[in-house]
Amino acid sequence: MISKKLLGAAALSLFATVASAAYPERDITGTIMWGAGGAMDVVSRAIQPHAEAVLGKKIVMVNKPGGTGAISTNFIVNAPADGYNILFGAENPQLHKVLGLAEFDYDKFFPVNIFARSVGVIVVKADAPWKTVTELIEDAKKRPGKVKMAMTGPGGLPHTVASMMGAVTKFNTVPVPFDGEGPAVTAVMGGHADFAPVGVGAATESIKAGRVRALAVVNTEPVASLPGVPAITKEYPDFAKYLPWGPFYGVFVRKDTPDDIKATLVAAFKKATDNPQFQQLMADRGNIIMNISGAEAEAFLKKWQSTTSWLLQDVGAAKISPEKFGIPKP
Amino acid sequence: MNDLMMNISYFGMSFLDPYLMFLTAAGVFFGIYVGAIPGLSVTMAVSILISFTFKWGVNEALALIAGIYYGGVYGGSRSAILINVPGAPAAIASGLDGYPLAKMGEAGQAIGLTTIMGVFGGLIGVLCLAVGAPMLSDLALLFAPRDYMMLAIWGLLLVGSLSGGMMAKGVFAGALGILFGMVGLDPLTAEPRFTFGSVHLTAGAPYVAAMIGLFGVSEVLVQLHELHFPTIKQNVSKLFPSWSLIKKHLPLASRCSVLGVIVGALPGAGGDIAALMAYDHAKRTVKNPERPFGEGAWEGIVAPESAAVGSVGGCYIPMLTLGIPGDAVTAVIIGALYIHGLKPGPMMLLETPHLFWFTVGNLILACIWLAVFGFMGIKLFAKIVEIPKSALLPMIVVLSAVGSYAIENNPVHIYWMLGFGVVGYFLKMYGYQVGPVILGIILGPLLDSNYRRAMISVSNDPVEFVAEFFTSPVSAVLLGLLVLTILSQTRYWARIAGLFKRAGAEAAS
Repeated sequence: MISKKLLGAAALSLFATVASAAYPERDITGTIMWGAGGAMDVVSRAIQPHAEAVLGKKIVMVNKPGGTGAISTNFIVNAPADGYNILFGAENPQLHKVLGLAEFDYDKFFPVNIFARSVGVIVVKADAPWKTVTELIEDAKKRPGKVKMAMTGPGGLPHTVASMMGAVTKFNTVPVPFDGEGPAVTAVMGGHADFAPVGVGAATESIKAGRVRALAVVNTEPVASLPGVPAITKEYPDFAKYLPWGPFYGVFVRKDTPDDIKATLVAAFKKATDNPQFQQLMADRGNIIMNISGAEAEAFLKKWQSTTSWLLQDVGAAKISPEKFGIPKP
Repeated sequence: MNDLMMNISYFGMSFLDPYLMFLTAAGVFFGIYVGAIPGLSVTMAVSILISFTFKWGVNEALALIAGIYYGGVYGGSRSAILINVPGAPAAIASGLDGYPLAKMGEAGQAIGLTTIMGVFGGLIGVLCLAVGAPMLSDLALLFAPRDYMMLAIWGLLLVGSLSGGMMAKGVFAGALGILFGMVGLDPLTAEPRFTFGSVHLTAGAPYVAAMIGLFGVSEVLVQLHELHFPTIKQNVSKLFPSWSLIKKHLPLASRCSVLGVIVGALPGAGGDIAALMAYDHAKRTVKNPERPFGEGAWEGIVAPESAAVGSVGGCYIPMLTLGIPGDAVTAVIIGALYIHGLKPGPMMLLETPHLFWFTVGNLILACIWLAVFGFMGIKLFAKIVEIPKSALLPMIVVLSAVGSYAIENNPVHIYWMLGFGVVGYFLKMYGYQVGPVILGIILGPLLDSNYRRAMISVSNDPVEFVAEFFTSPVSAVLLGLLVLTILSQTRYWARIAGLFKRAGAEAAS
C-alpha cells in the first residue's frame, strides 16, 4: 500500500511537469461509479460524446461499481493525478464517512462539473384516496402501521426524503425497502405500497400515463417536467431548511491534478453540459441542470453532505456520527 | 384499417431495409461469441454499444442490440455444452445434460438441437410479446414480494433435481450457496453482512464469478486427474437433429417457452431463473427420458434453452409497455432509449407508436438470423473439445480469469472466482454437486429480501402474512402450484390421485 502511494506520488511529480504540456495528448479513461443501465451510467455515456468533441480525444468508459461507489473512488484516488483518469460519480461518496464505507469523500476530489441534480416527488397509486400530502399524512397518523411507504436503503433519495418527511411531519408509516426507485414506483403501481418518495426521473412517465399520481415535488418551487404539481413547501414550509436537495451527477478528478489540466477539463465539460441534446436528455429524465464547477460546486457538495449526514444521524441510519468528521449541522 | 397498414409497415421495416437487416445479423453473429465466452456478457456489450451507436438513428441501434441480445442468450449454452463452463448465467441449466452429451461425442447434435429449440422458444417469446404485452405487463405488476418469495422457493426445490441422487449432499450444497448469497450489504438496510470490514466484500459474492469458478475452474481441476484419458472424438456428421426428435420435444419446448416469457416479464427475474425453472419442470414432468437426466437427456437441454431464449421476448414486455426493465440487459436498453431521445415509460408506445411493431419485427428477424448463424461454425466449435487437455485446460483458466475481471473491471472478482474454483473442486471430489451452490447464490438473496419485504409490509403480523396468500389471486394460484409440486414428489401423491380417480369413476357411473 505504502509503496503504491509512493509510486503514485513519484508519477504525480513527473506528470505535473511533463503531461500538462498539451493535455490531453492521449485517450482519457472515464470510470463510472455505478453499473451498466443505472442513472449514473446513462448520464455519463450521454455526456461522453459531447466532451470528446471538445477535448479532441476519446474518453474510454469503464464501469466500476461496488461498495456504493467506494470501489471507484478508491481506484481514482490511487491513480495518478494527471487528468487521464476521471471519475463519473454520483452523490454517494459524500455519505461514505458516516456510513463507514471509506475514510474520505469528495474532499479528495476536484469537482470538474456537477451536471445536474434530481428532485424528489411523492407519488401514490392513481386511484388512491389522498389528494394532497397533508391528507396522506393525516390518514397515516389516524391509522398507524397501515399506510405502506415504498423506499430504498439508507442514503438513497427515497430514504432521505422519507427521513425529511419523518422529521417535519412526525408521521407513522410502514417503510418497505425495495431494490431501487424503479421497483418502488412499480410497487406503488401494483398496489404493494401506498406511496413512494422517488426521483422525478423514475416517475415522470408513469405520472403522465396516469399510472401513478404526484402529490408534491420535494423542492421549494414546482419543476418544469411536472407542471401543476405543487412544491412540498407550500404545505410544509419546514421542508425549506433541507432544500434544494437531490442526488446529483458529476465528473471529478483528484484534487492535486495540475491547474491547467483542471481548467481544460472544466471548460470542456461546461461546454458539453450546455449541449442542447444533453440538456434535453436531462429534462426528459426530470433532472435540474446545474453545470457548476470549482468553488461553487464544492459549496454545493458541502451543503449536501451536511443536510444528508445529519438526517441519517437523526433517524439512526448513520454508523458514525457526522460530528466525528467535523461535518457541520445544517 | 389505416392503423393496421401502418403497423404492418413498421413490422416490415427491418426486413425491407438492407442496412437494418445487416445490423441485426451482425448483432446475432457477435452476440453468439460474446455469449459463448464466459464473463463477456450481453449487458456489457450493449452498454459499450450505447456510446458507440450514439450518433445513429434509434432503429439502427435497437436492431443491433436486439441481435446481440438473442445471440448472447443463445451463445451461452455453447460453452456450457462443450467445456461445462456456462457462457452466461442463463446457460447453467443447459450444461447439466449438454456436457454429458459432449462427453459421449454428441456435442454437434446437442448444439443443433439447442439452436432449433432456442429459435422456437424465441419465436414463441416474440409471439407472446406481440399479442399479450399489455396483459402480461399488468399481470407482472400484480406480483407482490410474497409471490417473488414463492418463486424463489419453487426454484430452490430444484436442489432435489440437481443433487445427483444424494439428497443430503444436495441440500448442504444449496444451503452453502445461500450462505454465500448473504455476503455483502443487506439489500434492505445496507447493513454489512460477513464483510469483515472489507469494502471489497460489500458488493457480495458476484454470481457470475461464482458460476465461472464453480463450473469452469473446478472442472479444470477435476480433469487434471484425467489428463491421460484420450479426448473424445465428436460426431459432427449430423448436426441437424432428426424431425422425429424435434417433434417429440415440441410440446415441452412450448411449455418452457411460455414459462420463460412469464418469468422474463417479471421485473427482477430473467433468463437464468427461467432456464433453471424450466429444467426443473422438465425433470418433473418427463417420466421416461431416453437417457436419465444429468446423463445426457435431450429434454435437459431442450427445456432450459427454449425458456432462456423465450425469456428475451418476455423481458421486452415490461420495458416497452411500462419502461420497467425485465432483466439487466433491458435495463441497459432503457438507458440507450433515453440517450436516443425517447422516453421509456407507459407513454412511450403512444408517443412513438412505431416502436412496438418495429421491435416485434426486428426480434423475429433476429430469431431467423439465429437459426442461420446457429448452424454455422458448429463443426469448428465442436473441435474445441478435441484440443488436447494440456492445452485446453490452461486456456479455460486464463479465459475464466479474464471473464471474471471483465464483469466489473474489478480484480477482486478473480479471487472470488478462484476461491469458488477450489471450493467447487473439493465439493466435486467428495461427491457434492456444484449446481445447488449456484442455485443458492442466485435464489437465496431473492428469497431473503422478498420474505422480509412481505413480512415488513404486514407490520410483522404473521396472521395477516398467511392470510394474504389466500386473498390475493396471484398468490393463491402460486401457492396451489407450489403445494402440488411438492405433494407430487411424495408417496401420498399416488393415494391422492387414486382418490380423485375413484371419485371420478363413481361420478361417471
